Order: sequence, then C-alpha cells, then structure tokens
Amino acid sequence: MKKILTIAACLAFGAGSAMAQETFPRNGVYDERPGLVALTNATIHTDYKTTLNNATLLIRNGKVEAVGTNVKVPAGAVVVDAKGKHIYPAFVDMFSTYGLPEVKRESRGWGAAPQMESKKEGAYNWNQAIRPETNAVELFKANSKQADELRKQGFGTVLAIHRDGIARGTAALVTLADKRENEVIVLDKAAGALSFDKGSSTQDYPASLMGSIALLRQTYLDAQWNNQNPGREQNISLKAFTDANRFPQIFEANSKLDVLRADKVGDEFRTQYIIKTNGDEYQMLNEIKATNAPLIVSVNYPDAYNVEDPYDARRVSLDAMKHWEMAPANAAMLQKAGITFAFTASDLKDKKDFLPNVRKAVKYGLPEEEALKALTVTPAKLLKAENVVGSLDAGKLANFIVTSGNLFADDNLILENWVQGDRYKITEVPSDYRGVYTLKIGNNTSKKLKIAGTPDKPELSVIGADTVKGKISFNGNLVTLSFTDSKKSNETIRLSGWLADKNLQGEGQLPDASTVKWSATFSEAMTQQDKKDAAKKAEEVELGKMIYPFRAYGQTELPKQETVLIKNATVWTNEKEGKLENTDVLIKNGKIAKVGKNLSESGAKVIDGTGKHVTPGIIDEHSHIALNGVNEGTQAVTAEVRMADVVNSDDVNIYRQLAGGVTTSQLLHGSANPVGGQSAIIKLRWGKSPQDLMVEGADGFIKFALGENVKQSNWGNTQTIRFPQSRMGVEQVYVDAFTRAKEYEQAWKNYNKLSKKQQAKTAAPRRDLELETLVEILNGKRHITCHSYVQSEINMMMKVADEMGFKINTFTHILEGYKVADKMKEHGVGGSTFSDWWAYKMEVKDAIPQNAGIMHNLGVVTAINSDDAEMARRLNQEAAKSVKYAGVSEEDALKMVTLNPAKLLHLDDRMGSLKAGKDADVVLWNEHPLSIYARPEKTFVDGIAYFDVERDAKMQQEMEQERMRLIQKMLNAKAGGARTQNPTIKKASVLHCEDVHHHEEESYLAY
Amino acid sequence: MKIHKRYISAFAAVLLSTAAFAQVPAPAAKQSKPVLLKGATLHVGNGTVVENAAVGFDNGKITYAGPQAGANSLSGYEVVDVTGQHIYPGLIQPNSSLGLNEVESVRATIDWREIGDFNPNVRSVVAYNTDSDIIPTVRANGVLMTQLTPIGGTIAGSSSVVQLDAWNWEDAIVKADEGIHLNWPAMLIPTGDKERDERLNRMKENREKTLRDLSQLLSDAAVFKAAKADKENLKLSSMAGLFDSSKKLYIHANYGKEIIESVNFAKQHGVKNMVIVGAGDALAVADFLKANNIPVIYSGVHALPSRAEEDVWQPYKTPYLLHKAGIQFALDYDLSIHGTRNLPFIAGTAAAFGLDKEQALASVTLNAAKILGIDKQAGSVEVGKDATIVVSSGDLLDMRTNNVTYAFIQGRKVNLDDKQQYLYKKFDNKYKEQKKAPAGATTSAGK
Repeated sequence: MKKILTIAACLAFGAGSAMAQETFPRNGVYDERPGLVALTNATIHTDYKTTLNNATLLIRNGKVEAVGTNVKVPAGAVVVDAKGKHIYPAFVDMFSTYGLPEVKRESRGWGAAPQMESKKEGAYNWNQAIRPETNAVELFKANSKQADELRKQGFGTVLAIHRDGIARGTAALVTLADKRENEVIVLDKAAGALSFDKGSSTQDYPASLMGSIALLRQTYLDAQWNNQNPGREQNISLKAFTDANRFPQIFEANSKLDVLRADKVGDEFRTQYIIKTNGDEYQMLNEIKATNAPLIVSVNYPDAYNVEDPYDARRVSLDAMKHWEMAPANAAMLQKAGITFAFTASDLKDKKDFLPNVRKAVKYGLPEEEALKALTVTPAKLLKAENVVGSLDAGKLANFIVTSGNLFADDNLILENWVQGDRYKITEVPSDYRGVYTLKIGNNTSKKLKIAGTPDKPELSVIGADTVKGKISFNGNLVTLSFTDSKKSNETIRLSGWLADKNLQGEGQLPDASTVKWSATFSEAMTQQDKKDAAKKAEEVELGKMIYPFRAYGQTELPKQETVLIKNATVWTNEKEGKLENTDVLIKNGKIAKVGKNLSESGAKVIDGTGKHVTPGIIDEHSHIALNGVNEGTQAVTAEVRMADVVNSDDVNIYRQLAGGVTTSQLLHGSANPVGGQSAIIKLRWGKSPQDLMVEGADGFIKFALGENVKQSNWGNTQTIRFPQSRMGVEQVYVDAFTRAKEYEQAWKNYNKLSKKQQAKTAAPRRDLELETLVEILNGKRHITCHSYVQSEINMMMKVADEMGFKINTFTHILEGYKVADKMKEHGVGGSTFSDWWAYKMEVKDAIPQNAGIMHNLGVVTAINSDDAEMARRLNQEAAKSVKYAGVSEEDALKMVTLNPAKLLHLDDRMGSLKAGKDADVVLWNEHPLSIYARPEKTFVDGIAYFDVERDAKMQQEMEQERMRLIQKMLNAKAGGARTQNPTIKKASVLHCEDVHHHEEESYLAY
Repeated sequence: MKIHKRYISAFAAVLLSTAAFAQVPAPAAKQSKPVLLKGATLHVGNGTVVENAAVGFDNGKITYAGPQAGANSLSGYEVVDVTGQHIYPGLIQPNSSLGLNEVESVRATIDWREIGDFNPNVRSVVAYNTDSDIIPTVRANGVLMTQLTPIGGTIAGSSSVVQLDAWNWEDAIVKADEGIHLNWPAMLIPTGDKERDERLNRMKENREKTLRDLSQLLSDAAVFKAAKADKENLKLSSMAGLFDSSKKLYIHANYGKEIIESVNFAKQHGVKNMVIVGAGDALAVADFLKANNIPVIYSGVHALPSRAEEDVWQPYKTPYLLHKAGIQFALDYDLSIHGTRNLPFIAGTAAAFGLDKEQALASVTLNAAKILGIDKQAGSVEVGKDATIVVSSGDLLDMRTNNVTYAFIQGRKVNLDDKQQYLYKKFDNKYKEQKKAPAGATTSAGK
C-alpha cells in the first residue's frame, strides 16, 4: 500500500537514440527511405479518451509527426486513405515472454537426493532461484512468428520478462516490429521482475510458498547489506538485485491470495509492486483494492464444463462453476472499485482469444474507454514509457492499429498493425456479397441461391425443389461453391467462378463429370432484418451472487454479531464454578457478558438450551488446515519461514471444523526439520481474509521437531544427506543454532552501543531473519511448540533449553510424555498429545492412551490435539478418551481441548472458559459434549454464529440450486457453440505434519 | 535377560507384580464349565434388545439368550452377575491388516503385500501374527474378530476371518480363505494440464492392459477345473470358488462408476458373490447395488467429505442413508491398524447421525458376519452360535461409556490386559512411589 516511487527522469525515453542501427556496415547500397506516410480521413483515437473524426495521422521515420484534423499533408508523403476506418494506439502488453528462451523446469523426481547448494557456478547468490543478474535484454531475440501472433491482436509493444525464479532480474520493453533487435528495443531495462516461483532452480530450498516468501525477504536484506558494505562479499546477484530495484517492480502472483502476500512483502521493503494476477481477484475485491497495487490482469476465462453426465458433473466444484460465469466480469469489477490495471495476453494458450475476451469484458460492464486505457496508457504509464507508447502524439512511436470500425464491436476487424511506422497487413475488409441470386447451371431449371451469414463467413443455401445448404468462399473476386442437387443426394455439384459486376459466373463440374457453365444473377440484397439476425445475438449478462469465501459454503453476507441469550442449558464453565445445570449464558458485543441463572436481556435472541450443553469453543493446538504449504524441510533450521504468510482463508475445512465446535487453531509448520517455521494462530472466522483470521495480539510461536521425521528415517534411501540423521545430531543442531543466535545478538548489541558517529564508520551486522527469530526465543518473545515422541529426545530438548537459557512452551505429540512427566513438570512445559495413536512408526511403539491422563495427574498442562483435519472435528470425543483410559474427570477432560490449549497458547485470558469478559467463542451442543452422540448446533466465534445447523441445511439447498442454475447455463452455452472442457480433478489437499511432497498419481483418481 | 541389580532393588515389587504382562497375555483356556451372565441388557446384534436378560454358554456355544426369567431352569452354570451392564456380540472388523503388520513404517513388519499384480493364491492367514502387541488393545474395546485382508496389486490375495485370542494362526481361524480381494483399477480423470495429461494417458493404457489381463485370468480360471489340465496352476485353481459360490470376490472400489463397472465385469465373468469394499460413492449407485444384491463394506465414516460441496457430515450420515436405501452393509475402521479399537465408535458415529443404535451395532456385528459368510457361528448373541461375547458397563458404541468388563471368544474368557496397560501401571507406580518417597529421592537425573 505504498505509493509508487517516482523513478528518476533519466530513465525516460531519449527520443531517437535507442532504435537506429547506424553503427552497422552495409553490404550493398544504402536504402534509407523518408518513411513519410499520411493516413487521412480516419477516425483517430489518439488516446483512450480522445477521438478525432476525419483526421490525419502523419508519421515519419517510425514516429508520429503530427495528428489532427488540420494536419497538412506534406509533399512527398505516401497517402493512405483511411476513410471509414478507425485508428487506435497499438496495445502494450506489460507481461510477456516475447523473444525470450523458454524456461525449462528440470524435474528431479520424487525421492531424488537433496541438492543443498546452487548449481549455478560463479560469484552469484547462494540460492539458485535468486537470479536478478538476468537481464532480459541480453537474452532477447526478435521472433517474427510470435510477433505476428501478437500484432494480430493489436499489440505493438511488449515487456519481455524472463519468467524464471523468484528474483528474475530486469525486463526489456520492445516493439513487435520485424527488425533487428537493436532497433526494436525501446527500454533495455524497463522493469524488475519477481515471483514466488523458484522456476528452473533445482536447489531444494525453498520447497514451499512460505520458504519462497522468506527467501525473498532475506534477499532484500542481504542486498541492502551488500550495498552498504561494499567489498565484504562479492556477489553479482545481490548487486544486480539492488540495481533492478530502481525500476518498476512487476510481481507475478498465481492467485488472489498471492496478490495479498506479494503486496505485504513489498510493503515491508517500501516497494509498491505492480502485480500480475490470474483473473480471480474479483473474489476478494476489498482486500485487493486495499493493497493499492496496480494490476496486470489476465483475460484467460475458463471454458464451460461438460456437465451432461450428472455423475461426472459432481466433480466440478461450485467455485469452478461460478468462476466460469464471473471471470469475464473481473475487469469491470476492478474498474468499478477504482483499481488501476492493464491487460495482458500472457496466460492465453491461444493468443487469438485475446481481443474477443477483452470485448467480453466490455460486454460484462467494463466501459470501452477503460478497456482501451488498460490496453494502452495504463501499461505505458506503469512502465514510465508513456512518452513513447500508449497514445498517438507527436514524437511517440508510430505504433497503431487500423480497424474496420469500433474496436469493441464484435464484427470489428484489425486491418493493419503499424509498428515503428512499418505497416503489417492483418486482414482485408471482406466484400459483402450477401443477397439472393438466380442460379442457372447449364440448361437446368433455375434455382434461387441465397448468400447469408456475415461478410467474412458467408453461408450458402440453394433453393430448388428443396433447400440444401452448401459451401461458398470468396478469394478476392474469385468464388467457389459446392452443394448437392437435393437433400437426399450425396453427389456434389462444384462450381468455380468470378465476380462480374454484381453477378457471379463461371464453370463447374457436375457429379457425372461433365463440365458446365453457370451464372448467378443478383436479384435482391440481404434485408436489414436478416443482417441483424446474422449478427450474434447479444449475450445476456446475468451473474450469480458473490459469496465469501468464493467456494462451497461461502455466503453472500457473513453472519453478524448478535446479542444471544442461551437459557437453561448445562454450562461447562471451566471455571471454579464447574459444570452448572439449568444455567443461562449471555453473549453480547462479541464477549461473554454473563453466566448465571434466570438472566434476561432486552433485545437478545433467546435460545432454549433445555437438555443441551454449552462449552467454550474447542481450541486445536496442532493444526495444518487453512494453509498453502506445511513444511519447508529443506534445511535443518528454517526459523525464518512464517505460516502467517500462507494462510488460506478459502479452505473449506475451516467451515467443517466449526461444525465440530472448533473456534481457534494453531497452524503449525510441519515436523520435517529441527527448527521449523513460525506458527499462525487463527480464529475460524469463515469468510474473512487471512489477515482477519489471525488472533489479534497473540504471542509468537514456532515449531520445533525431534525424532524420526527430523532425521528423515522414513523418507526413503536417498534422504541420507541432510544433517542431522540421528538424535545425536539433532541435539547439536540446537546447540549450534542457539550459539550462533547468541553471537548474533551480541554483535547487534555491540553495534547498537556505538555512537551515531561510530556507527557511521562501522559496518552493521547483516540482518538474518533466521537468527533474529532464535533471538526472540532466547528473550522469551517467541515460544516453542516441539514435536516429540520418545523420552530421550524430550529430556534432551529440555536440557538444551536449560543450558541455553530458554523454555520449551509445549511438547506436541509427546507420546512418551508419561515416561518423563515429572521432568516436564519441573521444566514447566505443557503437553499436547494424541488421545490414542500409536504403533505407526518405531518411535511410537510405547505410546499409550493413558499418556494425557498421567501428564495431567502430574500437573503438566495437557491438551489433546488433532494434526488432522478430520479428527479436529471430533476433538471433544478424543478428550473423552482420557476419561475412558485414564480416569480423568469429565470436566478436566473437556479442558484438554479448551482451557488447556488456551493456556498453552497464552490465550487463556481471552478464551478457554465461560466467564464474563472473555471472547464469546462458544459451542451449543445437542448432547453431553464428551459423548459420541454430541454435535454442535451452533458455534460462535466472537459472538458470531459462524456455524448454525439450521442455516447449514439452508445453505446446502441454495448451493444445490445455484449449481443447477449454472449447469443449465453451461449446457446452453455448449449448445450455443461455446468451447467446453471436461470436468477435471482438483483435490483439496489435507495436510499433516509430515507432508513434504504430494503424490502426483493421487490427483488423477476419480474418488 | 540381564537385569540390573540396582533397578531391582528400587522397584522390585512393581516389576514382579507386572512382569507377567510385558508379553501379550496368554490365550484363554477352553471353556471348562457352563457360564451364565445375568442381569444385563442384551443387544442381540440383529436389532433386538432384551432388558434384564441372561446369556448362557457351554462348550463355547451359546445355550441361552433371552429374558433372565427364562434362564432359571438352567443348572450347573457359573453365574456371573452383570446387572446394569450390556451384553453384545463380539465386534467384527472386516478389511483389516491387524496382525499382518506391527509397525506401519517399518518394512520388515509388513506382511500384507506381495509382489506381482495378480496373486489370488496368496493367503493372508499364514502371516497372521497372534503375538502382535496391537491385538490385545483392540480386544479391550470389544473387537473380537477380524478379516485378514491382503492389500496391493490388482488381485491382492485371499482373506480369512480369525478370532483375536489364539496361540497361533491355525487356532485363530474362524473361516479360512473365504474370499479374494480385487483392487479395481481406479478410473482416471484428466487434470486439465497438458503435461500431466500425457502421463495420464500412459496410466490409462496401463489400466486397460490390467483389465484385459484380469479378464483373461477370470476367463481361464472359470474353466480350469473342468479342463482337468495335467499341470496344476495355483492362481487358477485358487479362484475356482468364485464360480461356485464357495468364495466371495471382494471388490475394492470407491467411485460410483468404478463400482458399476467392476460389478458388471465380475458378473460377466461368472463370479457369483461380490462385495464392494471401500464404497465411498455407494449412495450414488444405491439402486444399482440393490438391484444386483451387492452388499457393501463401507470404510470411510471418520472421513472428510470427498467434495467441498457435500454435507460436512456426509461420511457420518452415509451409513444411515445406506440403511434407508435398503443396502446391506457393514462398517470397517480403515484409518490405521492401531485404530481398529475405535471400530465401536465408528458405529457410534453412524448412530449419532441417524442410524438406529441397534442397527449401528448390527453394522459391526451381524451384518459383518453375514457379508463375511460367518453368520451361522458368529455375529449375534443367539442360541447355537459361538459364545463370542462382549460385556460393557455402559453403551459400547460411545467412548464416554465404553468399558469392557468381560470378553469371551468361543466361550473362553479373554484376558483384557495389554502392553499399554502394563506401561501405564509401570509409570503410574513410578510416580506414586515418587510421591511416597521424600523429595529428592526420585530417579530424576541431572540434579
């Protein structure tokens, strides 16, 4: 949300300097021409909002010399009469790979041995995905085939970006003229390019989205440090990174959520990215708008799905169906919201779709003027090239298109595309031969011949005893016809001829091989009505409602905070009052207002709780829902990665877990490495943005992990390279990491102690986000949730913490906690465990279902967690198992999934019990909450009923109706000739602690 | 085993009292005298409930099951008063690797998969490890029988039903080699990505080849017996039972179209009895299943809906809806081997979401027995059947009340102890001793 930094004016285009080839020797005689052309009598759109009628465009040497209604055509100009035609500035695509080599992704295959270091040789960055030293201009080769494709769509200039890696270096602005590279390059460095995609890098790190984000952050810091401390480390990449930052920064995002993520990183480093989107940003319009980012918008609309088979049609998700309907409205919605954007053709497999799709955007509500702006001036301005391209004023490049009429009309044709004053003919205005003719073949009886359709796609019917359809095509003034004699006949009459005045005549061959002469005499022109019918019927634009989030169980309006009074329920307070019968709970302003008997509150919505139970919302200490990625397990220590960077607010498991009474979840990094990433703690506010899911003011947490996952015991025989491979090594990873962290902290302390004067003379230490996070731990500012199983490693971890001077907050999983519960109590660490899992690997062969009970009995704060999106919906039942197996009291058991995890997350002052003043995170159960027969009827978060069993039934019904409406619409679209695609599989991934890779095969399976 | 003297001196009493349980408990001896359980609520397994009931059994067979009043004439029975408790048939877990695998991540302990695509002759029962540490923990929640099911390849092998208290696999057999397991090759769906779809096409070709091979195998097997070939063919002869009803074909398939395709395929090849296992989409093809009289072993109760649009509780509700659709079904717990002890709670979940409690019970007892072809001797508490019975002080299907006080397998009183309880007692005692001992005298190291 920062203003675009104004780039120094020296970058602006120096007229005439960039595009000559004066230095090249010639073989033969010089052939320079004046290049003076005047296009006259045209309707000229000099820019997106200015139209001149009957005007002249004068160009000289590839540039606009003059434009206007009073331009005098100088002697020596080649005059092109453009009467009846329109001239527009040629389009600018600011996200193109034109002329650049294809990026080859080397697939290293599942199970390949780790590659810890970059394979790029030389004094470059440590990470292969950081390649800011790439200058597209050095790789650029003009490509006439690609240029032709783009010119046909109206483009004259494109920004060539080498789409490879996270830092992609600089991009070049080039024209689409078929000339030598030296002549077509407009700006050799027009922009810097970035993404979260590691591209062709084969190095392991980063293997996740949050790893990519962390790497980008660290690269900014490293480049700053490198710049401020010249000579400390020679690093071509970091120097280039700093250099590339001088230009407008273009960030390629793959989803609406990535747009938000990218913008956040940009803000941290005071850079407003221009963000390339994938066309779904209308789904989070408010959040996208708030980024202030100019967008580069794709017009890649999905095809309708083949939904004839009701069984297969179930595979098409509601969001895919709705996106099919709404994608063409994206641009209009962005424009209405006041968002600046440019169009790009980059995502289109077939570039021919570009202009039709832009026209579709206009049909869906985007004003023509705004569409033209997004094709011309906006990209030019964003690239600081508005003095060169994007409009037709004197001095700018003579890049323009000549069209048959209004650019946005369906039947409009681009006739010519002029690039740098060179004329590229695209198509001719087809002559209109439509009408009725009298056809005479040899001596046969006359028939009526009707030519209908559109001028460029004429349709033929021959009307005799019956009417047969045939084929007709014109080529200049030559004509070819073929048709059968009658409907039943399968023998074809073929005629060839020419246009003579308004009539057709020529020779042909009959099915019996005899040749004949024929003629078709014009009798009447096509009626206006026929012409109207021939034009495609205007598509009616009717859109379904927006839903938040944009997927199943999304709602047009989010539920609101209410004042609610639940009467006469059994209330599990988790406070010293314990479990209260026939008690009321008042919820107001998002807080619990009162718990007591015979409460009343005017205006409150009263719920009869007779026979029902009320408990605090369930808190899952160990969850991996609502994330786009879990493990950055490629290095032993990845404290720099943040789960908050990859929260996915669209995950339907948020809603499903509300239906299981869950209100708060700690989203943990996985367990692939000793020091994993930083946790995100969210409330399940279904429908809100990732930012709004975060628990406000929550303490920082981080995931540590021990044992088999960390030493990669079960990852196959190739995973034997990364340190550590044993529990011995695990200890040393910690000792080493915290030793470095202490040294790092000391270095900063020393530096900060210096006076300003001294500081100016002294090199500042390099900021290291990984070590900074570990320093937070040492200072009690960040707290550890440590994945652990066996007693030896649990003990080791506590000893390392004691030695290094920090505390472990929580051992998670902790299946052998019962063996060292006394030591845990002494250390003051809590335990968050599974109720009854065991025997799935060696380190859990001694796990017992009484574990939680023993830890609890010894005074360890004990929670039961899920680590599983399904089981999280039944955490109340998992808690009940502590009663069954270890005789824990029912109230204490319930605390294991409510108050105790709140304590472990330092949120017990706000959550975990029913007490006036605490957050109204409350569940109303139909039954005793520890019983298998219990299920939530309502789940409140902040006093908002995000789950309501009655509303749920209604939503299901509405969802089914909406699907049916869309299915019918798709069937109609298909019948109307729209392109279609088969239903495909898009499986939601359910993530667990140990997930590192996905098995690709799975995604093909039907079920 | 050498034991440290120091250790003995510290905890001798504890160790001596519990050492006997460090191993899987010894199987119970054959029933020596008739037993009468009385005072309980009897859940027969077929939908009937009898309050104040009594159940008598002798020589491993049930001799009486009904109102307590009707048992007054029985004499010579050892009476066990279980007043206020509940009597159930022993639960049956179909489609399981229990005893075929001890530690899921350790290859050396995996015996449920054989190499090769078509292994009808491979028999799971010979690999069944009666000394698995997991088995006693499963019994302790009321699961007393299982179907040992091989996994992997297209035809994984044949399964057997065993009871869970035996010295060796031979003794454990309830019904040997009762069926052959076919993993129906999954239908493949394009992802829309060109590069990936090229892979998909290769996979599709493989699928077609597998189906051709399978067709050939079934065709050859159907006539092999009649051909009286002079060379034995283990694969073909092991499949003979499929064509004369003596063996079932368990087809593992989830997608609706796979279910229809596989059943028709098997039928065309002369297979007589089929069961669909997994059956995720069974509801979508309910009419087809009903018309073809195909029973179902439904696997995914504790599962997420397969599509975001589905009812969030769809998998929980499916058993009830299958029942309503008139499909014969049993439930199995398929999330993990150690989790088999949660089988009663799978049924409980089905009951929480619409299924009548006794029907839910039937789905893990009598219906399972019928589908596995063992209902003559097991699956319900009825006279003449094996006395494979569970007594729980509360509702067996709810973890809140599930508390197995007795389990009998074929009349033998099963030892309900297990490794986990041993470890529990071991450490519980440690901490109790610590409390008794003065501060500082604990074993805590590093001080």
